[in-house]
Amino acid sequence: MVIEELRAVQREHGYLPAEALAALAQRINVPLYQLHGVASFYPHFRLTPPPAVEVRVCGDMTCHLRGADEVLLAAEERAAGLAGTKIDHVSCLGRCDRAPAVSVNDVILTGMTPEKVGDLVASVAAGARPEHHEPTPEAVSLRTDPYGSEGRYGALRAFVESRDVDGLLKTLKASDLRGLGGAGFPTGMKWDIVRAAAGSPKYIVCNADESEPGTIKDRFILDHLPHLVIEGMILAGLVVGAGEGIIYIRHEYEAQADRLERELAACRREGLLGPNVLGSGLAFEMRVFVSPGGYICGEESALLEAIEGKRAEPRNKPPFPGTHGLWQKPTVINNVETFAFVPLILVKGVGPFKALGTNGASGLKFVGISGHVARPGVYEIPMGAPVGHVLYECAGGVLGGRALKAFAPSGPSSGYLPASMVDVALDFASLQKVGSMLGSGAIVVCAQGTCMLDMALNSVRFFRNESCGKCVPCRVGSAKLVEILERAAHGQGAVHDYEMIHDLSDAMRLASICGLGQIAPAPIQSVITHFADEIEAHIVRRTCPSGVCPVSSS
Amino acid sequence: MSPPDLLELTIDGQPLKVPPGTTIFEAARRSGIAVPVLCHAQHQTPVAVCRVCTVEVKNARVLAAACIRPVENGMEVWTDSERVQKVRRTLYEVLLADHPTPCARQQATGDCELETQAAQAGLRHSRFAARSHARGADASSPIINVDHTACILCDRCIRACSEVKQNFVIGRTGKGTETSIAFDTDVPMGESSCVGCGECMVSCPTGALTNKRALDVVLHDGAEISPDELLALPMFAGASGTFLALNRGSVIRRRFRAGEVICREGEQGSTAFYVLSGRVQVSIASPLAHVKDSRGSQGAGVTRFFRRLSQLVSSDEDPRDEGGHRFIPIDASVNLPHGNPVAELGQGELFGEMTCLSLYPRSATVRALEDTEVLEMLRNVLYMLRKNRTFKAELDRRYRDRALATHLRSVPMLAGVSEDFIDHLRERVTLVAFEPGQVIFRQDEAADNFYLVRIGFVKVTQSFPGGEIVLKYLARGDYLGEIGLLHDSVRMATCTALDHVELVRIGAEDFGEMMRRFPAIRSVMEAEASSRLAEVRERHERAASLPISTFLAQGLMEAQNLLLLDLERCTRCDLCVRACADAHDGVTRLVRDGLRFDHYLVATSCRSCRDPLCMIGCPVGSIRRRDSLEILIEDWCIGCGLCAKNCPYGNINLHSFTVSVPDEMQPGRKKAVVREKATTCDLSRDLKEPACVYACPHGAAMRVEPLSFFAEKLGLSR
Repeated sequence: MVIEELRAVQREHGYLPAEALAALAQRINVPLYQLHGVASFYPHFRLTPPPAVEVRVCGDMTCHLRGADEVLLAAEERAAGLAGTKIDHVSCLGRCDRAPAVSVNDVILTGMTPEKVGDLVASVAAGARPEHHEPTPEAVSLRTDPYGSEGRYGALRAFVESRDVDGLLKTLKASDLRGLGGAGFPTGMKWDIVRAAAGSPKYIVCNADESEPGTIKDRFILDHLPHLVIEGMILAGLVVGAGEGIIYIRHEYEAQADRLERELAACRREGLLGPNVLGSGLAFEMRVFVSPGGYICGEESALLEAIEGKRAEPRNKPPFPGTHGLWQKPTVINNVETFAFVPLILVKGVGPFKALGTNGASGLKFVGISGHVARPGVYEIPMGAPVGHVLYECAGGVLGGRALKAFAPSGPSSGYLPASMVDVALDFASLQKVGSMLGSGAIVVCAQGTCMLDMALNSVRFFRNESCGKCVPCRVGSAKLVEILERAAHGQGAVHDYEMIHDLSDAMRLASICGLGQIAPAPIQSVITHFADEIEAHIVRRTCPSGVCPVSSS
Repeated sequence: MSPPDLLELTIDGQPLKVPPGTTIFEAARRSGIAVPVLCHAQHQTPVAVCRVCTVEVKNARVLAAACIRPVENGMEVWTDSERVQKVRRTLYEVLLADHPTPCARQQATGDCELETQAAQAGLRHSRFAARSHARGADASSPIINVDHTACILCDRCIRACSEVKQNFVIGRTGKGTETSIAFDTDVPMGESSCVGCGECMVSCPTGALTNKRALDVVLHDGAEISPDELLALPMFAGASGTFLALNRGSVIRRRFRAGEVICREGEQGSTAFYVLSGRVQVSIASPLAHVKDSRGSQGAGVTRFFRRLSQLVSSDEDPRDEGGHRFIPIDASVNLPHGNPVAELGQGELFGEMTCLSLYPRSATVRALEDTEVLEMLRNVLYMLRKNRTFKAELDRRYRDRALATHLRSVPMLAGVSEDFIDHLRERVTLVAFEPGQVIFRQDEAADNFYLVRIGFVKVTQSFPGGEIVLKYLARGDYLGEIGLLHDSVRMATCTALDHVELVRIGAEDFGEMMRRFPAIRSVMEAEASSRLAEVRERHERAASLPISTFLAQGLMEAQNLLLLDLERCTRCDLCVRACADAHDGVTRLVRDGLRFDHYLVATSCRSCRDPLCMIGCPVGSIRRRDSLEILIEDWCIGCGLCAKNCPYGNINLHSFTVSVPDEMQPGRKKAVVREKATTCDLSRDLKEPACVYACPHGAAMRVEPLSFFAEKLGLSR
């Protein structure tokens, strides 16, 4: 309960004074260095009193494409000379559909412009409180929901009736449902591993910590279909014999956490949770765990460390969470979207579910699309639909009718693909074939005029900022990679940079402990592959063809 | 067929069978294949963070860290493939880019593991640029140097601290590329709860944590004592043997025959002594052969002598009386009785701590009473001992048994505390230590404890319009924290440790009990507290009306009392100087020269500074401030000269005086010797006004309180 205790201290003092940490260490019998190590790791915790006005501007990928640099500059200019004002960078806030986003005294505001942010700095410095504005989700009809307004939790009721664990696992395996947080591990197999694993108690954990730039689909699902996520988790719990489910949600998703709490309360009222789920004699309880922040917490073993009250540093694997998860006990950990599809599969059956896909892929997929698009947002599409379908049919095409230059199928992790590949199908196999990945379904669109070296640098910088610092290749490698790309952007590149980038990429990809370090070089590697001329222009000819990088202004 | 419980694998083509749970690193090692490691130490749980032990496992997507990856049946492992070599080389190269090459370890002993392995891999320099901002160093620990730039965050020190030893001090702070190792809440190592066992330093593969020699001094007068012998002594339990070996020469064993002098009062030194066996006598030259601090006749001196004597036997005296000192504080676990300043120490006692830690002159002469064996140690070793829990507990016990009573009695105000109450306090007081610069309590905090100063100097400051000002310095024998408790209110000042400070802490409850039981003490303390509070109020009122900066310019603000000569009236007749000499046994304490302010000469004579730097460091506590502000040097001054050195205005001088001391050659007889003693203006304390002011025929000499004087003269008043 270390995170909760620290949060309580911060609530009381506004930050974590050393004396209060020392007192807490005594009280809960945790070494002081450990409390400090945890507190200093997470962006949510402050070790010094907060400034009177703190404006933090997201400059990652989508916000970067939508003018975050100008917003940051305007904020800094307006704040110059205002005492007690601090302007800073913040990592992706998960509002890519309304970019650029800023956090003002921990309140998130979106759709910023340089004018708006200037006014904001002035008004908050004058004592106004920033007002949080989270639009109410519009009612949409989604095929993922097998229920109308009636009959919710039908799959769970049916399972409690039949108690057919083997049948459920067989159905899940046959459905080809794979983990939709990025790694794509077959869900039925994962549940089976945990069911068979020795050790008790067992846990079900839902990863609702999506924090990668462009990734907003889980927020959409939690807004519209929280009951399916919860139903999926209860089913997982009953199938593997777990007693507790934990939804790990990023702290920027307050409204969604509230929505989950309300739904959980309703479930408890209806006997879907508690010591005797629907009279089955089985116990299952759930809680929401609010993350103290950081992209790395989305890495499943780091996430478990965070729940355990430690620094969210990924574990060495094997062993995997299926056998050695939370508190080293067998744990099912799945993404929001993965759990959400389970009721649909069980209610509709394997055949109809698979038939929802297209181009040979199975089922449905939620994708977020942002960047240079007319209607950024989240769309429910058939698995296997081409990127172009989402861009042109759903999102209204490239912003301002400009030509498409490039897109990332799934945020910085997937790397960038050129416009010529816009017909690539959004499914695991097709994207893997072109050296990319389906990832978390976060299409980021770059219109003509975007500098791809600038985008690669922006993406690698995100990974460097979010590296936990545990292992050398990621901690030091990502910093060196950023440094090389920054030099290139400033027209100080050299031919041997290619070799250094290549060597660093290999070391990071092959030797990092977790996916973050392994994938961190992907943006620059993909850009070297698909936009070779543009990179050569920077490194060898020392110009930026798009006129974006600092080299062009010198 | 192998037994079913053994796993089969090949490493670099060699077939092997190992029990389940064996790591690839272990399996390779057993077959004579060395996989390089930086973060892995075989006596620590593997963490696999440096990744230089990465090896190729057939059909695996990525490389595996050999130190942590358990062997699986049928594994095919390659420890030195081209891919592995390339990755390893890149890892060395990025680490080397930020590493100060050669680092402190490489320079000292040539065994920085990073530099050695990189060189073996054929790397001499890194293609990568160093990080733009260096991560800094921390020299705060007296025994270990911390260089964060050389740190590769291998986690070995962290495991050494909490896994090998159970000290729980070192962790990681921050995240990502800004991560660094940290002590407690990322405080400097010297201020942390580090016990100085040295385990982290001997675990460190690079120059991030290295041994700091104390003063570059090696002790050689005695017999060297080996790390094994030291570890056998209970007080060294828990220390790292390697660490002790690195510090050979920092602690020696010395033997003294009966009568031999171990150290002499007033001498410079840098060591402390621990008595292994035998008995020693601690003494200072008789304080009664002293500098006269008044113009009083011989008769008056005798009266004072008898008055003091009577106080030794009676506790009915007004404890506030200036002459109430019954014990002289010295640098050992005993205080010396004023009338007969001699005490004995025996086996297990420590003396010379303040000399060793803060390099103050020796406070007393110590002589062996019988054949005696001592450990003489430098600061690094004493630091370790003081951090050793068992030894500290033993020291504390001795203090409680031996010194607490005389310590309480040595505070004139507390002299009347009864024996049974001291017994009551004995197990209830806490002994607490503070490092230089550490705050003991802050102004406006709630008051919770009362403190007696046991070792070191405490600075008392108060926030004041225009900044923080020093109210006074407290030395051994002084006390602090009573006002807040008496008034059940907040602290009226901030108290900070100036050097290594140890305090006796008496809880609010016990303090309250003492006040209830001894109403006489309470009324004296209350009277003093209210006069201090009134003084503070008045000072604030005065200061609030003045442009402080005018005074700060010449340091006049620091003075509470200035001797001014009005140059428009002064005829340079020098009568003031002569009068001063007359008042002080023929030695003038006034020099008619100094800084000028407006048409006043600020004479070179004690200014009774607000921040009396002269009071810091006196090894016997003989320089102190009276309630009426002037600095007073008590007659047991041992003439070490530290106060004269500390006075920024040159207002303290050492003069030779002839005094009589016991004759060592002829027991029972006394002999005349010349001793240096410090002197300073005492405002002619036994006269109605200072002799110089009285003597001036032109009304040019005056003693003024600068704030109000200049406020009036220069039209600065409200």
